Amino acid sequence: MSSDVVVDIQGLTKRFGPRTVFEDISFQVHRSEVVAVIGPSGAGKSTFIRCINYLHPFEAGRIRVLDHELVGGGGPPSKATLRQIRMQVGMAFQTFNLFPHLTALGNVMLGPMETKRVPASEARDKAMALLTSVGLADRAEAYPRRLSGGEQQRVAICRALAMDPEVMLFDEPTSMLDPEMVGEVLGTIRGLAAQGMTLILVTHEMQFAKEVADTVVVMADGRVVETGPARDVLEHPTSERSRTFLTRVLKPLEAAGDGQASGPGATTALGGDHP
Amino acid sequence: MSTLQLWGQYLPQFLAGLVVSLQLTGAALVLALALGTLLVLARTGRIRILAAIATGYVEVFRAVPVLVLLFTAYYSLAQLGLRLPGFWAGVVALGAFYGTLYGEDMRSGLQSVDPGQREAAVALGLSNGAVMRRVVLPQAFLAFLPPGTNELSNLIKDTSLVLTIGVTDLMFQANAAAAATFQPMDMFLLAGLVYFAFYILLSRILARWELNVQRRRS
Ligand SMILES: Nc1ncnc2c1ncn2[C@@H]1O[C@H](COP(=O)(O)OP(=O)(O)O)[C@@H](O)[C@H]1O
Ligand SMILES: [Mg+2]
Repeated sequence: MSSDVVVDIQGLTKRFGPRTVFEDISFQVHRSEVVAVIGPSGAGKSTFIRCINYLHPFEAGRIRVLDHELVGGGGPPSKATLRQIRMQVGMAFQTFNLFPHLTALGNVMLGPMETKRVPASEARDKAMALLTSVGLADRAEAYPRRLSGGEQQRVAICRALAMDPEVMLFDEPTSMLDPEMVGEVLGTIRGLAAQGMTLILVTHEMQFAKEVADTVVVMADGRVVETGPARDVLEHPTSERSRTFLTRVLKPLEAAGDGQASGPGATTALGGDHP
Repeated sequence: MSTLQLWGQYLPQFLAGLVVSLQLTGAALVLALALGTLLVLARTGRIRILAAIATGYVEVFRAVPVLVLLFTAYYSLAQLGLRLPGFWAGVVALGAFYGTLYGEDMRSGLQSVDPGQREAAVALGLSNGAVMRRVVLPQAFLAFLPPGTNELSNLIKDTSLVLTIGVTDLMFQANAAAAATFQPMDMFLLAGLVYFAFYILLSRILARWELNVQRRRS
């Protein structure tokens, strides 16, 4: 891991009205690092990663992405800063959010054409190459409603990658998918990690986190309760709160047994002997 | 004279009346769409006073019968020194009323777009204008089409009210022919048929258009 910091978060605090979602979160993400954010539902994981590209304003703290900085509390950031940060930070959503009026290709072409004035032919070539790399070359002309969930999520990842982001955010990218499609999307994300892309990933796929993530961040009760190398945190959590969470997530999965797990998507249970 | 002979004799007047009705519909539609757009901008914008004025306007104009608006535009404005020709009084009254309906249709079209769409576009780095132009409006338009076309067919029918201020539209011609021939039943029946034929034609065209837009996106 290089010491080259891509995302630097200091003292981040987020409130919705009077309610504090999380308080005083700090950590750094280095180039090519894969960070998995885990924790119980409602812990603020989505809200947290959505602060990084300023889909949510925040009340205190600062977030620096390479040379651009967002500061909480004061006025809104300048348009130029927001634009730079959003162009450098790609995001894939839990519900894909593909643009339904554009084809798969059109979805992937839109960002570069609108934000960087890339000519259509160039944007098309790049989009086609990206779709090909995720095995969707033959679906390029299809509209989102004709695509399976797994295909939609892979197109959505291509849409973000077309901007050549420095870091990719994933918010539970496989939690809306049928089990047989989880593997194809995780495979795509695994490929990005292998290419050295910096990733911040909210996930419930513990086996995947253990295999692919360098660092695991456990969020609960409005703070980061534990952070450290993936294997250590997942196998030997030191904080009481992450122990209860991990036991609760992992127990039912282990109890379900190996018979239920199948195919490349069988990445849920921790401590299994999967590839 | 038989009904058919009567109809044949008066058909040219009816068609001339239809042309006036269509011009009225077209001009009122343009005004209504422009006004509707302004109302949506004002109501969703940040300037409080404009939002309040727009809301007040919609509440009032939506609740008043079109005929009252028509007489206001024609007679009351004249008393205030603004003498509008009947045709333009009709355009103003119909446009003022239908603008509130189109404004509401546009607003619900915009609201029907999933917030996740805007977020995905914003996350890509698109400017606010590009988010609207490339992502929100194309989807809002699809949601706007069905109520929008429904409003249009009502507008066509409501143009017949201008008969009351002497505009020589289709209804005016039917009324004149009824008085001249003492055959009101036949003449209003013909007017009904012409309105109906036009309505069928237009709704077919609009339905096909809607289907095309939808098909292009699936
Ligand atoms: N837009 C919002 N307005 C108000 N409260 C919100 C909003 N988004 C999320 N919350 C609240 O913030 C808390 C954290 O939500 P979220 O970040 O979605 O958690 P997680 O992704 O960990 O499940 C929840 O209690 C949720 O109800
Ligand atoms: Mg969430």
